[in-house]
Amino acid sequence: GEDAFLPAPQNISILSTNMKHFLTWTPVIVQGETVRYSVEFQGEYERVYANESWIPISECSLLTATVCDITGDISATVAYNLRVRAELGASRSQWGTLKGFFNRITTSLTPPVMKVVADGYHLLVELEDMGPAFQFRVLYWKKGQERRMQQKVVKEASSVVHLDTMEAGGDYCVKAQTYVEAINRSSSFSQTQCVRAQGDTSLW
Amino acid sequence: SGELYCSLLNPRNVRFESVNMKNVLHWSAPEGTGNEVLYKVKYSVYGVGKWIRKPECKNINRTWCDLSSETSDYEEQYYASVKAFLNGMFSDWVETTRFNPLTDTKIDPPMVSVSSTDKSISITLTAPEKWKRSPEEESISLLQVYPGLQYNVSVLNKKTKKRWFFSISNHTLVVPWLEPGTAYCVSAQIHVSAPLLDSDFSKEHCIATLKDK
Amino acid sequence: TAGNKIFHFGACRVSMSTTEIRAGFTAIKANIQARDPIRTLSILSYPHSLHKVKSPDRCCITHHLFDFYVDKVFKHCKTEDSFVNRKISSIANSFLSMKRKLGQCQEQNQCLCGQESTEKLKQILANYEGLNVTSAAMKSLGELDILLDWME
Repeated sequence: GEDAFLPAPQNISILSTNMKHFLTWTPVIVQGETVRYSVEFQGEYERVYANESWIPISECSLLTATVCDITGDISATVAYNLRVRAELGASRSQWGTLKGFFNRITTSLTPPVMKVVADGYHLLVELEDMGPAFQFRVLYWKKGQERRMQQKVVKEASSVVHLDTMEAGGDYCVKAQTYVEAINRSSSFSQTQCVRAQGDTSLW
Repeated sequence: SGELYCSLLNPRNVRFESVNMKNVLHWSAPEGTGNEVLYKVKYSVYGVGKWIRKPECKNINRTWCDLSSETSDYEEQYYASVKAFLNGMFSDWVETTRFNPLTDTKIDPPMVSVSSTDKSISITLTAPEKWKRSPEEESISLLQVYPGLQYNVSVLNKKTKKRWFFSISNHTLVVPWLEPGTAYCVSAQIHVSAPLLDSDFSKEHCIATLKDK
Repeated sequence: TAGNKIFHFGACRVSMSTTEIRAGFTAIKANIQARDPIRTLSILSYPHSLHKVKSPDRCCITHHLFDFYVDKVFKHCKTEDSFVNRKISSIANSFLSMKRKLGQCQEQNQCLCGQESTEKLKQILANYEGLNVTSAAMKSLGELDILLDWME
């Protein structure tokens, strides 16, 4: 049962970047002992429609680490409660609960890692695969013609994506941002990268 | 007096195997038996009261039965069941899991045709057709079944070994400004996002751009 | 991959994704449907398939079916399997955020119920109440793909 001498975990917080969410807390120290932890979550559905029930995360029960990957369970854009308690043998601490709700809409989105390639007269972009929740909005333009910027939405980043053909010898610039449709938010843009098409401009 | 009743082991791994909504029931023979065992098959539409026998699959010794015709309405879901018998011995009826033709079918890659000029290649893609009872029957493209269907196209420059990817909704793609006299290999995949279904990539179709005039 | 769709409910257009619900359901479909031994009755498709309902007030049926699942179904689907319970939670919470999006149509008065959909919804509730609550809830959860197929 609950034990007075085993304190509840403190400093419970969420680290959430690019739709990967982690719950962390400071360790409970008991000299010469290995304290373990168990984590539970409660979505808005459980709070409002299911008697405020809590659901254990099996991968984070009797855990010795002080971090738990909750990404798989935070799979709706609603407010979640999270709690963790310490366990030592049969003793269990009180639950330590995250202050305030966590909604994945607050995840921090970083610009995508991008590599722009000119292959002959073809403008190509290679984007880091960030998981199925991510799409990419790629903007590209001929240098000096920023007002004729074009856009391509890339849904799968697993390869070298063809953007467009380029005029011989032309300089073309590209920047990209991620878009997460589940939370309807985008990252800031990546650094702009420019490349030059093959050939000299006299060809045109 | 009680009727003498000997039971036969059950058929195993009873399941639908479906490609482009050609829905074929497959199973494995009861353990330790071979093709001396005979089978009969029945099916039912989920939510409808009765099991329906499949006459063409009665007293058969093969371990499959084509139920495409009976399961062609992809707005319904189905169960099928198989019973084995041999020398007066019977197995139980063994059922499939619930079969949803729309989400449980596998889609073939698209047909790819390629032509070239000296500096460009033109790619035409054709989505496979839904299974149909007979050649005379009207063809239904899977494009009509899955309106959100898209194509992922891969173009490989055989000289530089560089591969480019395109994602397109319509069925034609022209890649201009290529190197003359160079071989390019094209393959394509079908992607449906709802429900999530991806075909394999088609085999590669290679073509060379014409030599510079 | 993330597949945002524009759902058209009359003049009302709602951008929603069923991708996560689909993924959650696909992960537990075999488990849930195996708990439903009744082949002869469908909650959503009896006597007529949901697909046969081509009524203009799609929003009404979708909205009421979301309420049906949130209010009646999910809470009676607790299992002994932690993985299944977590996926049901994921689906239930996703339903909540989709319900909120559908609410936009209601605010624009685009979610009215015609006679056909009212009849259909009544039939669905009758089918549901014709079974004991756990069987009815498990059967309804097992039919989620019927709803998703129809929506998409």
